[in-house]
Amino acid sequence: MESRVLKPILAVYVALFILFLYGPFFILTILSFQQGPEGGPQFPIIEWSTYWYRHIFGLTEASRVAPLPVGQAMTRSLILAFMTMVTSTVLGVMSAQAFRKKFKGSDIVFYLIVLGMITPGLLTGLGVALVSKNIFNVDRHWWSTAFVSHVVYTFPFAFLVMLAILNRFDASVEEASWSLGVSPMRTFRKVTFPLIFPGVLSSMLFAFTLSYDEFSRTLLSSNEQTLPLAIYGTFAVEIHPNIFAFGVLTTLFSFSLLAVYAILMGLSVRRAKKIAIQEEIG
Amino acid sequence: MTAEAHIFRLDAVSKRYGVTVALDNINLSVERNEYVSLLGPSGSGKTVLLRTIAGFETPDEGRIEINGRDVSSLPAHERGIGFVFQNFALFPHLSVADNIGFGLANRNDPLPHDEIVDRVSDIIKLVGLEGLGARGVGQISGGQKQRVALARTLVTEPKLILLDEPLGALDANLRGRMRNELRAIRERLGVTFLHVTGSETEALAMGDRVIVLDRGHIAQFDHPDHVYSKPATPNVAKFLNRYNMFDGSISGSAFKSEYGDLAFIQKTKSDHPAYAVRYDRVAVDSDGSAGKGPSLPANFIASEYLGSSIMYFFEAIGGKVIEVEHHLSHGAPKTFEPKKSYRLRWKPEDAIVFG
Repeated sequence: MESRVLKPILAVYVALFILFLYGPFFILTILSFQQGPEGGPQFPIIEWSTYWYRHIFGLTEASRVAPLPVGQAMTRSLILAFMTMVTSTVLGVMSAQAFRKKFKGSDIVFYLIVLGMITPGLLTGLGVALVSKNIFNVDRHWWSTAFVSHVVYTFPFAFLVMLAILNRFDASVEEASWSLGVSPMRTFRKVTFPLIFPGVLSSMLFAFTLSYDEFSRTLLSSNEQTLPLAIYGTFAVEIHPNIFAFGVLTTLFSFSLLAVYAILMGLSVRRAKKIAIQEEIG
Repeated sequence: MTAEAHIFRLDAVSKRYGVTVALDNINLSVERNEYVSLLGPSGSGKTVLLRTIAGFETPDEGRIEINGRDVSSLPAHERGIGFVFQNFALFPHLSVADNIGFGLANRNDPLPHDEIVDRVSDIIKLVGLEGLGARGVGQISGGQKQRVALARTLVTEPKLILLDEPLGALDANLRGRMRNELRAIRERLGVTFLHVTGSETEALAMGDRVIVLDRGHIAQFDHPDHVYSKPATPNVAKFLNRYNMFDGSISGSAFKSEYGDLAFIQKTKSDHPAYAVRYDRVAVDSDGSAGKGPSLPANFIASEYLGSSIMYFFEAIGGKVIEVEHHLSHGAPKTFEPKKSYRLRWKPEDAIVFG
């Protein structure tokens, strides 16, 4: 039988996939419970402790290991990710809405938008830095030039998500609303938006996480450090397990974002499913 | 007739999609308080016509007047019409009552909340949806959805309601019931219905008048009995699905076809010659000789029992299937032998000839 050969191969493949996906995080988590401040970022674990977690929050006695310089960087990153999320999602919804009708040059506009996620980040960052200073005489900041490069990068993702959602959207409910005397603006607010909301949520999640994680574009387009830059900066000195502890905490934060997304999504999907099931019974 | 009598009027309306002509110079006016059905095969442009009146499509040329007002350049939400969709297009995120009240609550001049509640509960009674107001629209049956779609439109009190194959998504039983209800509701409210359908029985049964659309132009606009018994063009006769049609040409007082010369009395002017005779006007004769009057030989294939009548299927020369309908009130069904040759006859005055 074919499956007798194929099944073990696929099993190994999946196992490898999971190993590479979660293996590093698993090791990182173990090492973050290394003893401190003497214990280094390697095996064996001298003694299990939560020292490095306390270290991050400044709850340990002063030692030769300096606290992680991430406080300000994290605030910047969170604000920047939020700004990017809102801007990219609004742009994504609006442009995907525009693409529901074929307009002149829509093909070209489509590729121009998508180009933003394909262009190499480091070069885009460099370009933004050069152009802003030399042509527009704008200083590089995380909230100006870096923000723009983040939007250019995340907007295509939001756009593609919304395009997929609107592709499957049945426009007759909008026409029904117009025929009842409701203006197109109000129709969008009262009919279209609630129905495409799951897609909007996905766009927001994409834009937020991509921006929060962004390194290459930010490196040259921002004058200040965002979180990924700050963490990278600490590597240059010496690596202590406090970085691992921090990694665990940020990952947990990402998971909690995902959980919120899943709950919101579950609510709207459950409503849709309820409708679908009853439709079948009815 | 004064302009006041018309609920809507189309003036030389045309619409093209690339090279395809969807609407070809349509002139049409429909009176107030009338049930008009719009019949056409798929691709005849009937849905485009409806959507153009509604304002969902913009015509390339022509003028549209609704309620004495030129609405050609007005968007759909300012035309004051109602539209009922084939798939109902209910708002899936709203309850039955919220669906029905949606228009009143979200217009540019929304009604006060109390009045909306009153009007919604009135219309819920009218269409027979009592007790279902709080349900989600996913929690009701197909027939009930149809009623919600209708109620949602009726409650905004348009003078003209456009229905796009509104019964198409319902099963046969329900369709019959909803037909009667639609007519009853329309008569009670005195609005004009323009009902698009691909079903000739539905069109004839429901319309006070019937428009037959053929490839983007109006082939006939008349009372159902006239459309039925005096189709204006060969294509109208074809859509009605009640006529045996023969190709050929007119020469003198006979119609030359591959079945020989067929006699007729009257003819209708048309670019395409055709000879039509209704299913129920054909008689079957076991005597194979030609005799007098139009007739042709054909082999019996099968019969189909329809309750009040029975359909016989015959095969003529060249494999052409000829249908004969025998009303059981006119006598007991006859039995024919399969593959045996019979002669099909009709009276020349029953033939409808185009040419």
